[in-house]
Amino acid sequence: MAQVELHQVSRRFDSGQEALKDLTVSFEPGSMTFLTGHSGAGKSTFLRLLLCLDRPTRGSILVNGVNVTRLSPRRLAHYRRHLGVVFQDHHLLPQRSIYDNVALPLRVAGFRERDVARRVRAALSRVGLLEKEALFPRHLSTGEQQRVGIARAVVTRPKILLADEPTGNLDPELSRDIMQLFRQFHQVGTTVIVASHDRDLIESMGMRIIELSEGSLVSDRPGRSDDAAPVPEPAGEVDGAV
Amino acid sequence: MARSRTPKEPWPRQRAGLAALLRDHVRILRDTGRFAAERIGTSLLVWLLVGIALALPAGLYLLQVNLTALTADWEGRPGLSVYFELGAPEASVTALAERLRADPAVADVTVISAEQALEEFRGQAELGDALELLDHNPLPASLRAVLKPGADADALDAVAKAAADADAVDEVVVERAWLERVSQVTRVVTRLALMLAVLFGLGAVLITATSVRLAIEARLEEVRVMKLVGASQSQMRRPFLYFGAFYGLGGGLVAAMLISLGLLIIEAPLSELVGSYGREPVLAGFDLGFVGTLFAAALVLGVAGALIAVRQRLASLEIS
Repeated sequence: MAQVELHQVSRRFDSGQEALKDLTVSFEPGSMTFLTGHSGAGKSTFLRLLLCLDRPTRGSILVNGVNVTRLSPRRLAHYRRHLGVVFQDHHLLPQRSIYDNVALPLRVAGFRERDVARRVRAALSRVGLLEKEALFPRHLSTGEQQRVGIARAVVTRPKILLADEPTGNLDPELSRDIMQLFRQFHQVGTTVIVASHDRDLIESMGMRIIELSEGSLVSDRPGRSDDAAPVPEPAGEVDGAV
Repeated sequence: MARSRTPKEPWPRQRAGLAALLRDHVRILRDTGRFAAERIGTSLLVWLLVGIALALPAGLYLLQVNLTALTADWEGRPGLSVYFELGAPEASVTALAERLRADPAVADVTVISAEQALEEFRGQAELGDALELLDHNPLPASLRAVLKPGADADALDAVAKAAADADAVDEVVVERAWLERVSQVTRVVTRLALMLAVLFGLGAVLITATSVRLAIEARLEEVRVMKLVGASQSQMRRPFLYFGAFYGLGGGLVAAMLISLGLLIIEAPLSELVGSYGREPVLAGFDLGFVGTLFAAALVLGVAGALIAVRQRLASLEIS
């Protein structure tokens, strides 16, 4: 069964603009997919709908068979704890240390401080910033800030990792590093969906590419079959239960 | 055939439990303290504003409590003063005193002879020396009758009439009118305190709501990130409700200090006034119960203000 399914999803804004038109697409557990298209193609709207920050005008979004557009606020909060999100502008809190920024999702989920420390250091180590945990975002370069954003997104070991133009502000070399990080998370069983307009970069990754244009599906190209098979991760580690 | 139930959530939820909830409260409490300490000037200003808003009705309440206590004994036991003609024979005074003592409505009769009145006047009045210039005592004999508890106006009128008809009586002063006036003033003060409590309480709520709203604006990015990483509505509200409680309790503290200061300032003249009515100069009402109630009211008003701000702002929160 697909982990994420969008059935005939449309989103029309009050202005009349149709950001998504009758989109039907699904994602297998542990898959990695790039969403591409020009600015205004509907990539960000797609991710916002998956995050339930917005609701479709029509259609349904099923995650593990549950229509997430109808979740109550409490269930919605718990649903989001299983998602990791990376934004182009990081959304890091400037007055908090790198450690505290990465620890925030764990604290929200109710983890014990010793588990928070263990997981934050593991996540920072994975993105190569362990030695900078006491610094503040202003002390880091743009690339480093993006890696902190990724560490925060993966620290809860989310089931689905969503990224909206995560390399938008980075040079090509840093962009490849970031994409390799996403690939690593995909390889341990996380479903990864990355929105990016950098065609050259995403072509080089050899993953599934969904192309949108003016809210409609233009193409859905599968990835290369030699990509490492994902290893499913044990479930249920988000709600402070470690 | 067994039917499989459709799950209500994409992933099974593991209960975080009470310990996680407590951890969240402790973390938010620490954060609130740090945030407030970083903006100590603003925090103190809010405390002062809320404190003043609470101190006025609370102070009036204390005034009402003391006025009530001051008149409590007299209110249930009205009385009258009988003034005799100058040079009235002692036998007339004694006869009336005996008659009144025999009246079932009268609890006590105190006789003050003309000589006693003169002595008291000499002792109290600054004009005591002037009396030496007079060749006779200008003060009449008098007596004061206090009615039994629960005696009604008719009984008082009957006693007054009996006294007025007695020999050598010049004037009978019924104290009921004065007491009624004090009672009316007490009622006015009570209503005024109630009205001010509502108005200033509303003021305290609005001050807290505005201050919490500013705190929300200052931490909007944090709230957005919390929403993204799965914070529940109550988790997003919690820091700001703590802020409301912090502002409210601080305001309560300031109000208690202002009232203490006010009592210190008026203690001496009030003691003089109360003492002149033969009462113990003790200020009633400012006790542990009063302070506890003041803090509880401050806490409720602070949290109410925070709830208003949180409901308004977080409901319209958009994540870009």
